[in-house]
Amino acid sequence: MIEFFQAIADPAVVATVLRVMTPLLLAALGVLISDRAGVLNIGMEGIMLSGALIGVLVSAATANPFLGLFAALIGGGMLGALMALFINGLGTQFIITGIALNMAALAATTLGLFLATGDKGMSGALQSGVLPNIDIPLLGGIPVLGPLLSGHHMLTYVAILAVPTVAIMLARTPFGLHIRAVGSDPKAAAAAGVSRNRVQFHALTLSGVFGGAAGAYLSMGYVSWFAQNMTAGRGFIALAAEVMGMGTAWGTFAAAAVLGIAETVAITMQTKGLPNELMQMIPYIVPAVMLTVYAARRQAKARSNS
Amino acid sequence: MTRSILAGLTEFALTALVIVLVILAVLVPVALSQPDPFEVLRLFVLGPFGTIRHMGNILEAATPAMMTGLAATIIFRAGMFNLGVEGSFFLGGLAAAATAVLLPLTGFVATPAAILVGALVGSLACIVPGYLRVRFGASEMVNSLVLNFAFLFAGVYFLNYVLRDPNAGALMSYKLPADFTLDRLLQGTRLHTGVIIAFVACILGGIWLYGTRSGLNVRIVGSSPGFASHLGLASSKLLMQAQVAGGLIAGMAGAIEVLGLYSRFSWTALPGLGWTGITVAILARENPFLVIPAALFLAYLQVGGDMLARNLDVPSEIVGLVTAAILLAVTAAAIFRHPAFLRLIRDIKGQERGA
Repeated sequence: MIEFFQAIADPAVVATVLRVMTPLLLAALGVLISDRAGVLNIGMEGIMLSGALIGVLVSAATANPFLGLFAALIGGGMLGALMALFINGLGTQFIITGIALNMAALAATTLGLFLATGDKGMSGALQSGVLPNIDIPLLGGIPVLGPLLSGHHMLTYVAILAVPTVAIMLARTPFGLHIRAVGSDPKAAAAAGVSRNRVQFHALTLSGVFGGAAGAYLSMGYVSWFAQNMTAGRGFIALAAEVMGMGTAWGTFAAAAVLGIAETVAITMQTKGLPNELMQMIPYIVPAVMLTVYAARRQAKARSNS
Repeated sequence: MTRSILAGLTEFALTALVIVLVILAVLVPVALSQPDPFEVLRLFVLGPFGTIRHMGNILEAATPAMMTGLAATIIFRAGMFNLGVEGSFFLGGLAAAATAVLLPLTGFVATPAAILVGALVGSLACIVPGYLRVRFGASEMVNSLVLNFAFLFAGVYFLNYVLRDPNAGALMSYKLPADFTLDRLLQGTRLHTGVIIAFVACILGGIWLYGTRSGLNVRIVGSSPGFASHLGLASSKLLMQAQVAGGLIAGMAGAIEVLGLYSRFSWTALPGLGWTGITVAILARENPFLVIPAALFLAYLQVGGDMLARNLDVPSEIVGLVTAAILLAVTAAAIFRHPAFLRLIRDIKGQERGA
């Protein structure tokens, strides 16, 4: 048991957990905002993939990783806005819209990579930038806590700070109220003069911005290149994290943390010589198991109430 | 009767028009970026009909699309958004290859046995999320999305540690024995007898869905669960039946694909043909009979894209964009539920009653 706690307090382990949970948390918060507005963003996988490529291409072209991040945020937001235009403008179902976006993003990013580098697999030929880690001046000096809290990737801090921000935005601001109103009862919202189309447009755009950030983290932090289909289902894991989080920002944070720990265990076991492929299954099995356990408990509760 | 056929044709004409416009919207900008824009359009639109061999390629590409399209159709018809078809297709291919490599079967039983094992193992990827939904109420969509990847890595593990040929260089299985193949039908293409299975499956699927009591029951459960429970239908059982049937067909599709096209199994990523099947099902309006033309059409686009890639400097990924755009356009309520269009359909049908 003591060994377990020592392992958890090990700065290297904490750093790995934070490293793998950052993209999940950013993406899951994006999914959360869209879900509360009644348009679950299935296209998160495609938005992340696009953000990852845009970040690499723009940072390589401008030699400035921050411009790359900025472009990824804008690009992600535009894809989210595009989804909203299709859903409310053309009347497509949001699930199918998300599936179509994922298909289009896989094709378009491969195409874009090919046009930029002449290679369909990897962006290795491009000199793309990496976003920096941040050392927090005073905090870093504290003996035990310092190494745990300081020196992580800038988007890791952004992701963690985004949790209370999103929680407050959803619970306390007029915009959050509108999102919840449209998501829970569009007719009542319309009667109160809240436009569903407008709110869902803003929610999906914001969701896309989070997706763009998650993608930029993957290609300019987690690794320093873009590879075809590099998200490998992380957008879907984020979807599961949001569902596990029961529609709250803090719940989503907890779910992303659990999934981050699961992936860290998987990575650690791989280095100990356990079969790579079986360990890679863990981040995909854990959300399915947790989702099912939650659903079963909710069902049992509903039964005992009735 | 003729009036209702006419109404159907009107809807088909509108769908066709929308699709043509979407293809042009994606393709014209690409064409203009090339030195000879008309050559791009000509090659994409007419190229696949140029030779018998290319038409064979269309049938070859349509084979898995028909099967996965049928699988998705049956699952969607039961009202479930289970996206496990992709995982089932992968597992089915792997299990068929495993049967071929590991079991000492020969002669006529070999290929059917491998397809059967592929179908049974492959169906797991649809059954598990379906069961978790029916039994515990867990979202089948999210579960199937993540479990597809879990099945993928389990499959890659099996490939790496059991089926891998150490002398093959890359990660691939031992050679599949010659008895475990589907016969080629056309010289110069990889078209194989699997295409016949796909056609028959779609027709049988259509007859089942529209012509039998259990097909009707599945449609009732899918379209109005409340009415189904009023009728006293065993909803859970029917839902599971549809998931099992869809999974078996998708697994079979993967098995047929591997046995028909490859001499070794080497998939280390999800092949994406399950997503094609979902597009086919939606394009076919979830009608098994229409799955056949929908799959042929998407295969035609694929062959056109391949020809562009081979003859001009246009990557075939352009087809992915076209397919995604078509998927959106044909589900756009703004077009197909437009009041003017609905009135037109009603007028065409309404005159039948008047006459």
